[in-house]
Amino acid sequence: MLKNLLRKELCLAMHPTGALMLALSAMVLIPNYPYTVIFFYSTLSLFFTCLQGRENNDVSYTLTLPVARRDAVRGRFALAALIELAQLALTGAFCLVRRSLPLPANAAGLEANLSLLGAGFLLFGVFNLVFFPRYYRNIEKVGAPFALASVVFFVLVAAGEALEHAVPFVRDRLDSLDPAYLPARLAALAAGLVLWLLLTALAYRRSVKFFSRLDIA
Amino acid sequence: MNVLDVRGLRKVYPAFTLDGVSFSLEPGKITGFIGRNGAGKTTTLRCLTGFVRPDAGEIAFFGLPPAGREAEIRQKIGFVSGGVDFYPRKKLRAITSVTRAFYSGWDEAAYADCLRRFSLDENKTPAQLSAGMRVKYALALALSHRAELLLLDEPTSGLDPVSRDDLLDVFLDLSAGGKTILFSTHITADLDRCADNILYLRNGRLLADAPLRAWVDGYRAVALPDAPLEPAAEAALIGKKRSKTGFSALVPAEKARLFASAAPASLDDVMIHLEKEGEGC
Repeated sequence: MLKNLLRKELCLAMHPTGALMLALSAMVLIPNYPYTVIFFYSTLSLFFTCLQGRENNDVSYTLTLPVARRDAVRGRFALAALIELAQLALTGAFCLVRRSLPLPANAAGLEANLSLLGAGFLLFGVFNLVFFPRYYRNIEKVGAPFALASVVFFVLVAAGEALEHAVPFVRDRLDSLDPAYLPARLAALAAGLVLWLLLTALAYRRSVKFFSRLDIA
Repeated sequence: MNVLDVRGLRKVYPAFTLDGVSFSLEPGKITGFIGRNGAGKTTTLRCLTGFVRPDAGEIAFFGLPPAGREAEIRQKIGFVSGGVDFYPRKKLRAITSVTRAFYSGWDEAAYADCLRRFSLDENKTPAQLSAGMRVKYALALALSHRAELLLLDEPTSGLDPVSRDDLLDVFLDLSAGGKTILFSTHITADLDRCADNILYLRNGRLLADAPLRAWVDGYRAVALPDAPLEPAAEAALIGKKRSKTGFSALVPAEKARLFASAAPASLDDVMIHLEKEGEGC
């Protein structure tokens, strides 16, 4: 069932930017750039997918299929998880590429390292929690949930930047490529992954709850 | 066992209430769902298919309530609401490819037969199809997974007379094969041709649930000059309305003897005069 739902999302529902935005993972090769912003582009593609879904009556189509309502939500979350994980994997791959290039340390934000990936997990988890439950309250109103999720996203990005300057642990250990602090960065990655799982699971539960009450015009 | 049992279905909107709708569908029967625009036909069908959450009432498909069994039940149901209005720029081939994967009982031969019968080109997109062809494609999807119950909202709207006739043949074939069909329509001639039973909805209330012929035969149409009637005859009139030569109305069949002009009523006559009568309520 999940395979069919995901196939439907990929073949019919996904906005083309869902694939294109993944290529922006290569932005970690820009010498100085706030790399956490890269993750915003994939949230944008998820917004476009939901917006396009509204115009294409995606939910009406899905509800004519032999699936339960929660499965319609499950398919969309599967797509979101796939895009988010693919973006993180590609960003990780480009971080490795960057290491082999003669580039200076990033002066505009987090270094291209495991902490960045941990931050990506956290940002995606928070995006999922803010955007999807509000979207599934009323699938006709896609813009307002995304506007709120974007504000929260960039507040978190700004807070992360502030922490890099204000907290020595973040500045010296997490925002670094020093092998001595690899365990700290691994811990940041693991914490981000756990938070992403928890926040996304919570977002899914809340989305199913709201969507199950919704009348589809 | 009934294919569908609906009891006390209720949905309240600010300007409309679907009020206590109850009916059953027997296997192998074609039931026409009639009523004027806004009577609640689409709301009823959308409650049945899970698009709209009813405020009260019980629904059972094949003896099973849908809660927790939506996917299982939908394997046995085909639902068409007008023409295909989803993914207008995807090729039919792509939409079908995704759709068929969800159905354990997908019948490729039936689908190919629908494509041929309806002259559908899978390389086109819904946006490239006329309104009638979009209805045909929606029907092709609904008819291709061996659904035991077809819920069709205005399936013949937008179809040319030949296609409509062809589609009604399909319905009769399906019914003969044991499939159950509930379809709403404004084209009462379609029901005259194929429906066994009739559900008549007015202002959110189900006013008739009966065999079509018995229901229509319960009335006679009368044409009257613009002149006073005997009180007993006047009292028997239902939905009296102006016509070119005077007035027309329905009368109960048992009172037809009071009128020299009484003639068999058509489904159109019955519906129009009952609606007229309802306006006075």
